[in-house]
Amino acid sequence: MNPRPDMIEFQDVHKYYGDYHALRGITATIKAGEFFSLLGPSGCGKTTLLRTIAGFEGISSGAVMIDGKNMAGVPANVRPTNMVFQSYAIFPHLTVEQNVGFGLRKDPMSKDQKARAVAEALEMVGLKGYGARAAHALSGGQRQRVALARALILKPKVLLLDEPLSALDKKMREQMQVELIRLQRQVGITFILVTHDQEEALVMSDRIAVMFEGEIAQLADPETLYRRPNSKKVADFIGTMNFLPARIVSEAGGMVEVEAQGFGAMTLTTEQCAAAGADKAGAMVGFRPETLTILFDGQTATDRETMGTVAEVVYYGDMTYYDVKLDGTEVPMRLSMRNVFGRPVLDLGTRTRIAWSPGALVLFR
Amino acid sequence: MNKGSGLRVYAIVYLVFLYAPIILLPLFAFNDSRVIAFPLTGFTTGWFAAMWEDEQLFRALRNSLIISGSTAIFATTLGIFAARASTRYSFPGKSGLLGLIMLPLVLPEMIMAMSLLVVLLWIGIPLSIWTIILGHILICTPFAVAILSSAFQSLDKSLEEAAYDLGENAVSTFRLIILPLVMPGIVSSLLICFTISLDEFIIAYFLGGSDTPLSAYIYGQFRFPARVPAMLALGTILVGVSILLLSIAEYFRRRGLARTGAKDTGGFL
Repeated sequence: MNPRPDMIEFQDVHKYYGDYHALRGITATIKAGEFFSLLGPSGCGKTTLLRTIAGFEGISSGAVMIDGKNMAGVPANVRPTNMVFQSYAIFPHLTVEQNVGFGLRKDPMSKDQKARAVAEALEMVGLKGYGARAAHALSGGQRQRVALARALILKPKVLLLDEPLSALDKKMREQMQVELIRLQRQVGITFILVTHDQEEALVMSDRIAVMFEGEIAQLADPETLYRRPNSKKVADFIGTMNFLPARIVSEAGGMVEVEAQGFGAMTLTTEQCAAAGADKAGAMVGFRPETLTILFDGQTATDRETMGTVAEVVYYGDMTYYDVKLDGTEVPMRLSMRNVFGRPVLDLGTRTRIAWSPGALVLFR
Repeated sequence: MNKGSGLRVYAIVYLVFLYAPIILLPLFAFNDSRVIAFPLTGFTTGWFAAMWEDEQLFRALRNSLIISGSTAIFATTLGIFAARASTRYSFPGKSGLLGLIMLPLVLPEMIMAMSLLVVLLWIGIPLSIWTIILGHILICTPFAVAILSSAFQSLDKSLEEAAYDLGENAVSTFRLIILPLVMPGIVSSLLICFTISLDEFIIAYFLGGSDTPLSAYIYGQFRFPARVPAMLALGTILVGVSILLLSIAEYFRRRGLARTGAKDTGGFL
């Protein structure tokens, strides 16, 4: 991929509400044309950070740069950003057309050109022919599209999306996720999405900043975040991760000797280690449910093998989740197996062989 | 007789007691007799004609229209500021301040009228329709604030931000987005303040100088038995106008809710 220029740059951004420290030194860059997500639980500061880009929130110290320009003192109505609000903020007293064309009011282009731009924007979001409808009569998904068209018609450098899909039902949400990705590729504008839904962030983003308590805990692409979370907190927030107590035996030359409960002795690379000091309470090894495999009759492990007892079975149709107590451990670990035609679902209490590999583990310490 | 029907009789008696006097008003306004008593003697529209020729009445009506019109406009304007401040900003002492604004709603009007009169006389301001307007603004503002607060409350804050985000400034956002969306509330507030001021007697009587408004004029005319039927005719018209204005006010309030898609949290009707 060719290197992209920086579009947004946060330089040690702090924000206080009275005594409350909402943003605690955010430093990050977002590249032009990137689909970037701010992910975190509610109250982590992700929406506040988004609003500092839009200009709805001032910052207490630091700098927010958009396309190389410091935004200090630049009000929201002249910033090269547009926002899709969580509530959509569709003007209820206007028609769909008037809503979409609202930002063009002061634009010097002719009436015909404006009408054409509005029609194009509506077509882009799949609302061709809806122009004359009253805005308050639209469904949630349609409002969402109107909000998108209204923001994109101004061709902003950055489109800000504040939990835009949280009010939609599951089916509609998944459909809009795909459409947003398509739209972003089509227009090539930098999209910054705020969400608390880790799955949504993984599906849609080029890169994700995971935030906790006003700080960015990890900034990485979805695969890195999932496979190599840099702290137990991030690992817990994104997907499911199993943890087992471990002891670091020795560390030298990029290799770490570890003794983990249930797994025994193994050698890990330092790349598999989350940042030091992230968890003082003791070292842990973590693994995702799909990285351990239950061995059915006749199958053999490619790497290592251990035994376990099935303690819980949750059947999902395409997948089955097993809680398995590995020999030598106290807490059952969650494993996921894709269901294959002709293979039975294991019963509770079944003794089974399990394949695992040190390469799939992450060490937290 | 079961319990339910007993309560039903009570409700009916209550409503008859409440509304029968008002129904008597038009009845005697069209009755062909100077004496207000049954049996009715015959139908006439003569009292309306007598009322029509009363020059003093028209002067009182003109005074009332000036008072009620000015009161409605001033009280609603103040209400807009108060409602906007109470729904959008937070500042120290806000709830106490709002409580003080709403207080005249429950304060006896007699107290307000007396204390205002004392203060005005002490300062040396001559009594006129303007002093009545002052008193009426005081009692109407709480109503305006109540109506407008609900209109401003149902306004999503992100609508303003969206307009701002799309390039508008604070003034054009207010004009293009906020004003149209709270307009039904403003109309409703204007009409209700107008009606309250039109009907109001105590303050009008205490603070009025030589320019009597309608309510005080009607009261004065009741001293002359011959004038009473004509006043009943006038009262009939006033009842009609009041009901009409309040209906229009409620219509606008509900339309406002429908337009913003908000939930009805109860109004005055």
